[in-house]
Amino acid sequence: MILALWLLAAFALPLFPMGWLFNRVLASLPVGWPQALAVLLIPQLGVAALRATHEGWDLPSQWAFYGALWVLLSALFYAFRALSARELGIWTRLLASSGLALTWLDWGSGATWPATEVFVLSWSLPAALLLLLAGALTRRLGGAYLGLQGGLVAVLPRLTASLTMCALALLATPLFPGFFALLRAFDRLPLAFVPLLMPLPLLWGWAAGRFFQDLLFGAYRGEPVTDLGRGPALLIGIALAAFLFVSLLGSGVGL
Amino acid sequence: MDSLAACVPFLPIASGLVILAFLRRHPRGAARLSVGALLVTFLGAATLLGHYIIAGGVEVLDLGGAWGSLWLDPLSLVLWTFVSGISLIVHVYSVRYMVEEPGYARFFALLDLMTAVILFMVGAADLVTLAVAWFLVGVLLYFLLGHDHTRPAAGRYAFWTQITYRFGDLPLWFASLILVERYHSLSLPVIFARIQAHPGVLLWGLPVPLLAGLLLALAAFARSAQFLLHTWLPYTMDGPTPVSALMHAGIVNAGGFLFNRFAPLFEHAGMALHVAFAMGLVTAVVGSALMLIQNDVKRSLGYSTMGQMGFMVMECGLGAFPLAVFHLIAHGFFKASLFLGAGGVIGDARRHDGVPPDPIYTSVVERRPAKPSRLPWLVAASLTVLVPIVVIGLSHFFVAEHLFYEQGVVVLLFFGWVTGAQALFAAHKMSHQDPWRLMLGILASFVVIVVGYTLISHYFGALLYPDLSESRGLYQAASIHMLSFDGLVLSLAALFVGGWALTFFADGLDLASNLQGRGRGVYLAIYALLSREMYVADIYAFVSQILLRWSRQLNVWLGWC
Repeated sequence: MILALWLLAAFALPLFPMGWLFNRVLASLPVGWPQALAVLLIPQLGVAALRATHEGWDLPSQWAFYGALWVLLSALFYAFRALSARELGIWTRLLASSGLALTWLDWGSGATWPATEVFVLSWSLPAALLLLLAGALTRRLGGAYLGLQGGLVAVLPRLTASLTMCALALLATPLFPGFFALLRAFDRLPLAFVPLLMPLPLLWGWAAGRFFQDLLFGAYRGEPVTDLGRGPALLIGIALAAFLFVSLLGSGVGL
Repeated sequence: MDSLAACVPFLPIASGLVILAFLRRHPRGAARLSVGALLVTFLGAATLLGHYIIAGGVEVLDLGGAWGSLWLDPLSLVLWTFVSGISLIVHVYSVRYMVEEPGYARFFALLDLMTAVILFMVGAADLVTLAVAWFLVGVLLYFLLGHDHTRPAAGRYAFWTQITYRFGDLPLWFASLILVERYHSLSLPVIFARIQAHPGVLLWGLPVPLLAGLLLALAAFARSAQFLLHTWLPYTMDGPTPVSALMHAGIVNAGGFLFNRFAPLFEHAGMALHVAFAMGLVTAVVGSALMLIQNDVKRSLGYSTMGQMGFMVMECGLGAFPLAVFHLIAHGFFKASLFLGAGGVIGDARRHDGVPPDPIYTSVVERRPAKPSRLPWLVAASLTVLVPIVVIGLSHFFVAEHLFYEQGVVVLLFFGWVTGAQALFAAHKMSHQDPWRLMLGILASFVVIVVGYTLISHYFGALLYPDLSESRGLYQAASIHMLSFDGLVLSLAALFVGGWALTFFADGLDLASNLQGRGRGVYLAIYALLSREMYVADIYAFVSQILLRWSRQLNVWLGWC
């Protein structure tokens, strides 16, 4: 039973090689709402599975060391793979996997359950919004493959602005919760691990650069398309603002 | 004063957010609000600085949380005034310059947010605020540099900047984590007090200040475009001119700021200062060499900034921390004016090629002047070598004699001597009808500049570091063994004098025809190396292509899941 729970957690909080299954399940769902809901709910399932094990990270210290190393390598592996992804759905899935894998470190360092759930939401909420927007993009352009049509900002300003902000949130940009979650993970790890974790933000930054290059720059030469409505854009803006506000409160800033 | 201090960095944030929320369709209103907010910010910062100069007193403005505190010390107040002043100039310039660009209101909002983030960065009193602001500068700069979405090149070079900045974020985070772990506080004043009390705390067998100092120096190198981390700087010219001005005048100076902010730590990290000196020296030489062969005004200015940043980091490496701040401010003003004037100069050059169309006028201008002459070589050599050393030496002797006992100051005086001698030598090489008049004019300018610079930099140093022991501690940390130092200075002096002699007698030795022979190949190889900007960007592009190919291959094997 315990083994099944561990495997469920490794699937839902994507740890290589179970993370492959996580990505496969997401990819098999229809684009848009189903994928967005899945990326919100499956990681929560992982947290519940970890909770059910009641074990924490009380493995022998050598196991804990190799476990933490495996988590770090998983996160780096998905971030590295995101560099070459140009389809918005794949890009989002791989980066979400990279961030969500770090939940194991948070849990392993003895974080409280609410804190771990917030940690998970830091990655899964922006990923869900991005997958929703990938659906919107697919409906307009027939696919969410970036780079084929440059300069989307000229024809889809609201959609690209929403995509940009959600991508920044997913990539742990201050002041979004991912940044503080990452700092917390850094802070709780033994210092010897920190140099291993350091390339992670660099890979995320690289992935972001390629994403923005494909999304924002160039001249659009496709068919005329309609932008995201004011209502949905406003809703996404409100969601991100609320996310930011909660992040600031949770980070302990003096306001 | 506390509430005014709290308002200074928040005002541009408020202005930026109001523009984004309500004024995106009202470009004129956005520009007016933005300029007005910056004017008030600048006046607020100047008032705080004035209040400090008159009344004194350093305080930490704690907003009551785990982070978000501001340190109102001389460094913050001076840089607040400088940054808001430069930003105000850039804002005012942008009002007309950017008027025909799409996204006018967004541009002002981003400028406001960038200014606010820099103000938070230089005023941060805790490590989290510093790390957040340090990171956000890179993010906002990316969007400012990529303001023109229609040009893929703008995005590409904005990405180069962003990824280098991200590379520089990581050592800062690591250093912060080490300091928090070993000194048990997020607050910078508290950490510095504990470092003074316990500088010998170890991590992995190394003193923590040294380890953190090396990491902080690396973070500073990335921000200030030191050699191998410099490729982004010359290419940021693809961004709008006001952004280039803001970047070259303010943002790129973050390295010098970081050294000064962590000065109490660097007092115990001599090796980090030596590394900074070496890196700054290499960057200054490479930046200046690359600047000389550019044929594009803005890129030439970019490489000039790289060279200046090298000098600034080198000054930190010598322990002359306040001089680095003075340098960054002086460089900021002159580089901002050069960038803001560059567009007009390029426009003028396109309209007028500078060749007088009138043949009579041309013949008059091109008429050979009366036979030029030069000073006798012995007089010229004496003036060139002796006058700078006498002027620089005397001016420092009268202002602060104790500085002569610091190695860092001696090295800077040495550079001053070389630069001054170079200027006089160049003047001598110019043929002129009245060589005495030319030389006396240059000597008079030289005296005014040196005396002025010495006085200003001395009083500025006293403002930033009122505690003399701190200044001395930094110079001591930057010192090396006396014998090695003397040998280094003497060999460098011999090298420079030999170089001048070689140039002076170049005609007699017939160097030009020698270059046509064996030396020609070496000359061409060096020229090719420099014209390809030392292949640094090419190597990075090659390595990144390999990594991308591996990433793609992995994804193909795993079915993109």
